[in-house]
Amino acid sequence: MSRFFMNERETLVEQALEGFAESHSGLVDVHPDPLFVTRRTPTTGKVALLSGGGSGHEPLHTGFVGQGMLDAAVPGDVFTSPTALQVRAAIQAVDSGEGTVMVVKNYTGDVLNFSIAAELLADTHRVEQVLVDDDLATEREDDGGPGRRGTAAVVAVEKICGAAAEAGVPIAQVRDLGRRVVARSATLGVSFEACTNPETGRRSFELEPGEMEFGVGIHGERGIQTRVIGKADDLVESLVSRLVEAVGLRRSDSVLAIVNGLGATHGLELAVAARQTRRVLDGQGIDITRSLVGPYVTSLDMKGLSITLTALTDDLVKFWDAPVRTPALVW
Amino acid sequence: MTKVVDMTDKGNGTNGAELTGAGAKMWLLAFVDRVVAGADELTELDREAGDGDFGWNISSALKRGREGLEGIDEAHPAQAFQTVADAFLASGGTSGPLFGLWFGRLGAGPTAPWGVPELGAAFGTATEAVRRLGKAEVGHKTMVDAMVPATEVLTDATARTWREAVSEAARAARAGAESTGGMVAHRGRASYLGERAKDVLDPGAVAVAWFFESAEGV
Repeated sequence: MSRFFMNERETLVEQALEGFAESHSGLVDVHPDPLFVTRRTPTTGKVALLSGGGSGHEPLHTGFVGQGMLDAAVPGDVFTSPTALQVRAAIQAVDSGEGTVMVVKNYTGDVLNFSIAAELLADTHRVEQVLVDDDLATEREDDGGPGRRGTAAVVAVEKICGAAAEAGVPIAQVRDLGRRVVARSATLGVSFEACTNPETGRRSFELEPGEMEFGVGIHGERGIQTRVIGKADDLVESLVSRLVEAVGLRRSDSVLAIVNGLGATHGLELAVAARQTRRVLDGQGIDITRSLVGPYVTSLDMKGLSITLTALTDDLVKFWDAPVRTPALVW
Repeated sequence: MTKVVDMTDKGNGTNGAELTGAGAKMWLLAFVDRVVAGADELTELDREAGDGDFGWNISSALKRGREGLEGIDEAHPAQAFQTVADAFLASGGTSGPLFGLWFGRLGAGPTAPWGVPELGAAFGTATEAVRRLGKAEVGHKTMVDAMVPATEVLTDATARTWREAVSEAARAARAGAESTGGMVAHRGRASYLGERAKDVLDPGAVAVAWFFESAEGV
C-alpha cells in the first residue's frame, strides 16, 4: 500500500488539479483536455506569461497563475514534461496578440516540448523563451551536456516577468528581464531524506543515519555528494558562500534570498536557515533586500531545502514588489 | 503497365501527379497499419539500443491518429498530416514529440493538392525543424538519418508525379535507416550505450523508412 495520499496513481494529477481549481475558483480555471490552467479572468492587451513542467513541485507552477504572475501553467504528470500539444493549446488560449513569453526550466523533455509548441505556432504567434538554469550542483566545465538544471530561481523569474508583463512592458523586454534574473541567480539544495515515489511508496534513494545529500535537484535524484549532517548554521554557510561566489556578489550588493522547502521541511527549520542566510550575508556586507521563505518549489515529500540568491537592481526590486494575487503568492 | 496507367485516377480522388488529401489519408493509414503491425519490431530495436518504449509510444499515438483521419478534408494533404501530428504531440518521450513536429510542419503546407515542388518544400521545412530542435545531424543514429536523405531526394526530384518522387525518397530513407546499423549514437537514450548498441538499427529511422514505403500502395 502506498503511503502517498491519493486514490489511484492514474488520477493523481487530474484529481489534484480539480481540487486545486475548486479551492481557488475565483482565481484560476482548469482546462481538462488538453490539460492546462489559466487565470479565471483573462487579461488582454499585455504579453502573456506561461510556464509549466512536471507535477510534484507544487505550488509551482499552477499556484503562480493569477494577476501579476502567470497567465497559464501547463502541468505534466509527476516529474514528467507536459506534452507539446498541451503547451500549444495553452499558448493559443492566453496569447492576446502581444506575444507569449514561456518560462522553461532546463530539462531535456521540457525544453523539447515547449520549443516544439513554439515552433508549430511560429507562423501565427510570437513566442519567446526564458530558460531557467540556476542549479549550481549541475554545473560542468565542458558544454557537451544538458547544462545546469532549473530550480527555485524560476519563482523569481515568474514574479518579475509577470509584474513587467502586467505593467505593459513589451515582449522582448519581458524576455530580457527574465534572462537577466536567470543570469544573476544561483541555487543549491540539500536533502536529509529522499522523496516517496507515489506508485511504489518507496524512497528514491536511501541514506545511512547521520548522512545527507548535498547538491540535490527537484526530481528525487541523489546530490553530487553524500555528507555528514552537521549543524544548520554550518550547512547554510557552506551553501551561501558558494552561491555568493557563483553570483559574483560583492560588499554592498543587494539580493533576493529564496529559502525554499523541498516538501517535508518544516517552517521552523526554514526559518532557522533563513536566519543564518542573513547572518552569513551580513558578515560579507551583502544586504538581503527581499526574501521569500517557504515551500515554493518542492520535490514531492523530499526532506530538504534549497537556497537561491538573486542579485537585485532597482528595477528588479520594483517588479518584485508589484502586487500579485495567485493561489500561492499574494501581496 | 505503362506510365499512362500510373497517371490515371485510381478511384480514390488522386490524379497521380499531385498528392491530395485523400491520397495523404491512404498513405497515412497504410503507415499506421505498418507501425501497428511492426510495433514489436520497433520495441525490440529500442530495447537493444534504448529503453524499449518506442514501439508502444509510436503505435499508440498512431492509433489515436487513425480515428482523426476519418473526418479530414480530402482536398489537400495538410489536414491529414496535421491530424497525425496532433496524435504524436500528445505523446511522451523524445521521438513522439519530434515526429509530431515533423508532421506538424508538413501540416502547415499548402491547402491545395501538392505537386512534387510543394512536397519537396514541405518536407524540407519539416526535416530542418527536426534537425534544429532535436539537435541531431546525419550520423547521430536518429530518425534524422532517414529523414535527411529522403528529403534531399524530394527537394531535388526530377520526377513528375508525387508517387515517383516518394518512391525514390523511400529508397533513400531505407538506405539511411540501414546506415544507422554501424553507427554509435550521439543523441537520445541509445547514446548511453555507445558501442554496445552499434549494430542495432535506430527505430526512429526505421519508422521514417516505413513511412515513405507506405506510399507504395496508394
